[in-house]
Amino acid sequence: MSVLWQQKTHGVLKRKEKMQRLLAQLLLGVVVITTILAGIYLTLVASNVHTARRLWAMEHEIANVIRDNQALITEIARLSSIPVLQERSVALGYRPAESIDYLYLGEP
Amino acid sequence: MLHGPDTRQRLIAVLLIAALLPILGQLVRLQVLEHSQHQSEAETLVRRQYALPEAPWGVIMDRNGDLLIGNVPVYDVGAEINMITDTVIAASVLAPLLNRPEEELLATMTLSESAETLVWRPLTNHVPPETAQKLRELNWPWITLSPTWERYYAEGALACHTLGFVNADGMGYGVQAFQLRFLRGGSLKRVGPVSGDTSPMPDELTGGNLTPYPGTDLRLTIDRTIQAFVEGALDQAIVDYNAVGGTILVMNPQTGEILAVASRPNYEPHRYAEYAQNGETMLFLDPAVSIAYEPGSVFKIVTVAAALDSGRVDMNWSYHDLGHLEYGGVPIRNSDGAVYGQQGLQGILDYSLNVGVATLSTRELGADLFYKYVRAFGFGQTTGIELTGEARGIVHLPSDWDWSDSHLATNPFGQGIAVTPLQMAMATSAIANDGVMMQPRIVAERHYPDGRIIPIPAHELGRPISAETARAVTEMMARSVETVAKVAQVPGYRVAGKSGTAQIPTTGGYDPQQVVASYVGFGPVPNPQVVILVNLDRPDVPANMRWGIHTAAPVFQKVMARVLTLMGVPPSDLRAGP
Repeated sequence: MSVLWQQKTHGVLKRKEKMQRLLAQLLLGVVVITTILAGIYLTLVASNVHTARRLWAMEHEIANVIRDNQALITEIARLSSIPVLQERSVALGYRPAESIDYLYLGEP
Repeated sequence: MLHGPDTRQRLIAVLLIAALLPILGQLVRLQVLEHSQHQSEAETLVRRQYALPEAPWGVIMDRNGDLLIGNVPVYDVGAEINMITDTVIAASVLAPLLNRPEEELLATMTLSESAETLVWRPLTNHVPPETAQKLRELNWPWITLSPTWERYYAEGALACHTLGFVNADGMGYGVQAFQLRFLRGGSLKRVGPVSGDTSPMPDELTGGNLTPYPGTDLRLTIDRTIQAFVEGALDQAIVDYNAVGGTILVMNPQTGEILAVASRPNYEPHRYAEYAQNGETMLFLDPAVSIAYEPGSVFKIVTVAAALDSGRVDMNWSYHDLGHLEYGGVPIRNSDGAVYGQQGLQGILDYSLNVGVATLSTRELGADLFYKYVRAFGFGQTTGIELTGEARGIVHLPSDWDWSDSHLATNPFGQGIAVTPLQMAMATSAIANDGVMMQPRIVAERHYPDGRIIPIPAHELGRPISAETARAVTEMMARSVETVAKVAQVPGYRVAGKSGTAQIPTTGGYDPQQVVASYVGFGPVPNPQVVILVNLDRPDVPANMRWGIHTAAPVFQKVMARVLTLMGVPPSDLRAGP
């Protein structure tokens, strides 16, 4: 093999190898960046889904609290309604006032 | 045959491409050619209407903040009947829980052969949370529970006509129907893709607010303690006088606030559907605002006030009462047929002289002036109170085709003219309030969900008479109570009032037996805080005891005494100081 041929073939091989390495690095870079971006995207989506679910659950919780609150309000109203109050006051020995006395309190 | 690595490589590549081509073809078919079809199918599968449980309607409180109408959380129960595995067992288990006959439930839950695959049917409405919990514990995936609300009437039938109700179609009576646009809460519904548990997909939640909007609370001018006392007094009066029904209305003449209004017959608002089913819808009409009646002699205070205010007569005016008068072809007689001789305005009110007021209207006022005052006092037109179905009453004016001269002679003592109890109380309030007529009102404040409290201001409707006239009529009415109508006197307080006993019009005349007995008055004088009107419909007592002074006046006295105490108005001597 002549020196000229050797130089030629070795030079070509080296250049080809360099190109292939560069291409491989580029592809690897693209894969890595894509993976990172996909990871970020999936994380965001997952977070979004999680937050949305929590939000929806909390809205339901608020609705349930409002329902419980209304139930308590009506229960208080029932317990303090006039028929119930009258029944309780009679049971406690109260009776309707027969006369009312006013006391005049002069200004000091 | 396959020699060399290159050839094998080429063959594998060809095979791989051949295998990928059908996949690629399918992708093109699904994603490009049939894209819209599959997209709509997918959307049909995942798109559902979704919403948060609806918010409650606004509550209604009395003037002191005590709850009159609240909301009870309940559930509507339904079933996806195509998913039921054993309908017979399901019906037998659900029947006692839902309080429905087993056979009826079975029929509801049975899937007809022609039915589609997905069939949902309602099983019952408004079950309490305890029952809903028992249904959940059954763990039947086909049962659906939709949270909703039921109106709760804390005091039962108290103030039923005023509070009213609203049915599922949004129609109803009372303040609830009138204020429906404020009271109604609800939920915001949206249609979009949902997940398996029917919660919306995340993107949906960013599309706008879905938080349910609660209704606006109302604080009324009604005082439930006064209301309860008034209703008790009315019930007692109906029993005492064997009346068919009646109305008691209590209002503040200075503000127009209705403190209490009770009418009989009444109803229980939460059972409105049953009444409607039984054809008893007339019960829903509020006699205080929706049913006009001929007021009778209580109307004389309007005639006397008009005559005085017009300047056509003064306090020294008098006429000679012959016991009868003929005008427009109609004979007018005093209610007792007696002759009273020389009488003035005070005598007219003391003895309730029909001839006297007819003389005032026909001889002194004339039609134009008389009806000008009738209109100025608000008769023949609605007051604008926040209640549904308010009646205008019937006032025949000289410009009307059916008006005749006789109206000018009979209207002054409340015959041939129809008014609502509310109109009569409002006109009396004008006399009590130095001639200023306030618009009757039932809503004191609106409490908005965002925390704003908007008071509804008192509204002056007009000044039908001057302050001087109002004071003069008040003084005459008070003297009348002190001298003639002593049964209406309230110990410790000076009150003014006027009784009435109105015949009831029938076809072609008046019922010879039946009357509406009434009394209207106010106190304390001076500075009246309260106007009370009492109507008793057809009291069935001996004829000589049927008069308003014998039936309605004692009720007025009883209510006035208690209302003044409940309002903390001290007796006159105490107000004057030691």
